[in-house]
Amino acid sequence: MKLLHLYYDIMNLYGDYANVSALCRMLEKSGKEVTVDRLSLYDTVDLSQYDFIYIGSGTENNQKLVLENLRRYTDDIKSYISSGKCALFTGNSFEMLGKTITDSSGKVYQGLGLLDFTVTEQNKTRVTGDVIYEADFLDKPLVGFVNKCSEISGIDNHLFTVKMGLGDREGSQTEGVRCNNLFGTHLTGPALMKNPHFLTCIAELVMGEKPSTDHLGFEQAGYEITLSELTKRMNE
Amino acid sequence: MRVFFTILVCKLLRFVGKLIGKGSSLPGQVALKLCPDILSRVKLPQYIIAVTGSNGKTSTVEMIAHILMSNGKTVAWNKEGSNQIEGVTTLVLNSATLGGKVKCDILLIESDERFAKYTFRYIKPTHYVITNLYRDQLTRNGHPEWVYNAIADSIHDGTRLILNADDPLVSRFGIGKKDVIWFGADKLSSDTAELESVYNDGAYCPVCKAPMTYSTFHYNHIGHFRCTKCDYKRQDTAYTITSVDLDKGEMEIDGKHRISLALKSLYNIYNILSAYTVARIVGIDGDKIAADMNNYVLKNGRVITFKLGKRRGTMLTSKHENSISYDQSIRVASAYKDGCDVVFIVDAVSRKYFTSDVSWLWDIDFEMLNNPNIRQIVLAGRYVNDLSVRFSYTDIPDEKIKRFESIDEAAQYLDSDRGEYIYVITCFSDKGKFLGKVEVD
Repeated sequence: MKLLHLYYDIMNLYGDYANVSALCRMLEKSGKEVTVDRLSLYDTVDLSQYDFIYIGSGTENNQKLVLENLRRYTDDIKSYISSGKCALFTGNSFEMLGKTITDSSGKVYQGLGLLDFTVTEQNKTRVTGDVIYEADFLDKPLVGFVNKCSEISGIDNHLFTVKMGLGDREGSQTEGVRCNNLFGTHLTGPALMKNPHFLTCIAELVMGEKPSTDHLGFEQAGYEITLSELTKRMNE
Repeated sequence: MRVFFTILVCKLLRFVGKLIGKGSSLPGQVALKLCPDILSRVKLPQYIIAVTGSNGKTSTVEMIAHILMSNGKTVAWNKEGSNQIEGVTTLVLNSATLGGKVKCDILLIESDERFAKYTFRYIKPTHYVITNLYRDQLTRNGHPEWVYNAIADSIHDGTRLILNADDPLVSRFGIGKKDVIWFGADKLSSDTAELESVYNDGAYCPVCKAPMTYSTFHYNHIGHFRCTKCDYKRQDTAYTITSVDLDKGEMEIDGKHRISLALKSLYNIYNILSAYTVARIVGIDGDKIAADMNNYVLKNGRVITFKLGKRRGTMLTSKHENSISYDQSIRVASAYKDGCDVVFIVDAVSRKYFTSDVSWLWDIDFEMLNNPNIRQIVLAGRYVNDLSVRFSYTDIPDEKIKRFESIDEAAQYLDSDRGEYIYVITCFSDKGKFLGKVEVD
């Protein structure tokens, strides 16, 4: 199996790389041979050869830089998504897939236009916080953290419903986007490491069969504790 | 009259606050209500020196104050570390006469990097030290570029910048400014040719975003950098660490001042260098500064030695949510040649606010502990499982690792006949929970 961590050095603000490490280990524990390619701005990429593509969070400036770089692969990404293969874009990386990103000065950047949403940034307040989300394809809630300065409008096929914390914009009850097996969410950092059931779901899509989950003892215990800490806060 | 009254109220509140053990923010907060522009109505001293940056602010300010005062200068400084505008207002008014004249030679301000722009709207520093820009408390700070923008808004014309030449994220503040005072380190014996860090915040030029190269790395993204495309590069320094021997615990500044180190870490040598730089600018002789810094032990409680049964140890207070702070502490422990055990405690991620986010653990270079000097690793606290997951992605043999959710049980386990020295690496938010179990020196 071939995994791609794209923009591994410039879109990796919150330990995001560990999402790829978690998936790689689960596939290996399931008996697969895995290679991980870490590529960035100055590399040439053939997306079609990968079984999984990951991009993490970047600063607002770096996201714009990466957007221009990624634009040449717009068609490739489109066919990758239509083929039903799995990709995960976390933090502000998935914002690049929409129609436009308007920055804090009002400048409008054209997105890749693969999805129908629009993004508006501001530079006054950093919007951060712990979250609990639910998904119709998972039997347990997700825990995580959001760290952004943007609001998103116009997502129909949302990924999560918000139980606690921030959604796509203030007051929004939904978060993220799903398109076939492309998952886009503003969860920052190692969301797959922190949510072993989400990891299992992604691994199953990548492998096409049930992965091995025997090695997840600490992950599972860590998830339960965070879920109970966050639930306590939610009920206070 | 209003100035007189506001200062009087601030002084009274501070006096009462001290008696009942309250913090130093409230008096300033009240003063700002009474007279919002009070800070621009007082007469300030000749030198107003501000210090900001991700790490080392408190230690650097303490060292500057120590040097200046032991050389006969009078210094007003925010000792209690309350570093937002309210705390600074308390400091200034409390050091002023009722007529509004601040009576000291030097006003020394540690300022929170995100809120400096509010403080310095009223008090323009004559000199402004920026120590470094790291991934620090990103759950509130966003990311280093976000903090960069906040600091940039706090820099006004007429302030002389004193910048860390070795940090490409800080060095950028000096672009287009002619009178910047640069400090930094020459190539050191502890340097590496390759980056030793989990991530690289110096991978791309902060100015033009082309790849950067380093001729030498001091630690993480701190080193001698150069953009491969534009002319952005590390500047020559006016005040310089010319050599360091961390084994012996010695550093040398400007090729002639040797200083013995109470704490053998690279962040300590940078703090000493920035304090040295400021003291030189104020006119203190280099030899005198070196004498004042020789074996200087910080009084701010960041390094605490203790006894646990028959064993001895040191707590290196590090910042949760700050990977470079952890990396530095791990380097200190890893260099302990006689062999040591290392304890990590993550029980509350923060003291001041709640979060359950442990993403920052993935940015810490725990792999450095895979080294014969490190005999055993004890993980403890509420987030012991997250620590365990993180360690499972290093090559450290599992039999070296012990795990306890309870800090009490971890302390009991450590109270054994083992001869190894103990390093405890944890944060302000969790340190008391361990120190309550040991005998602090």
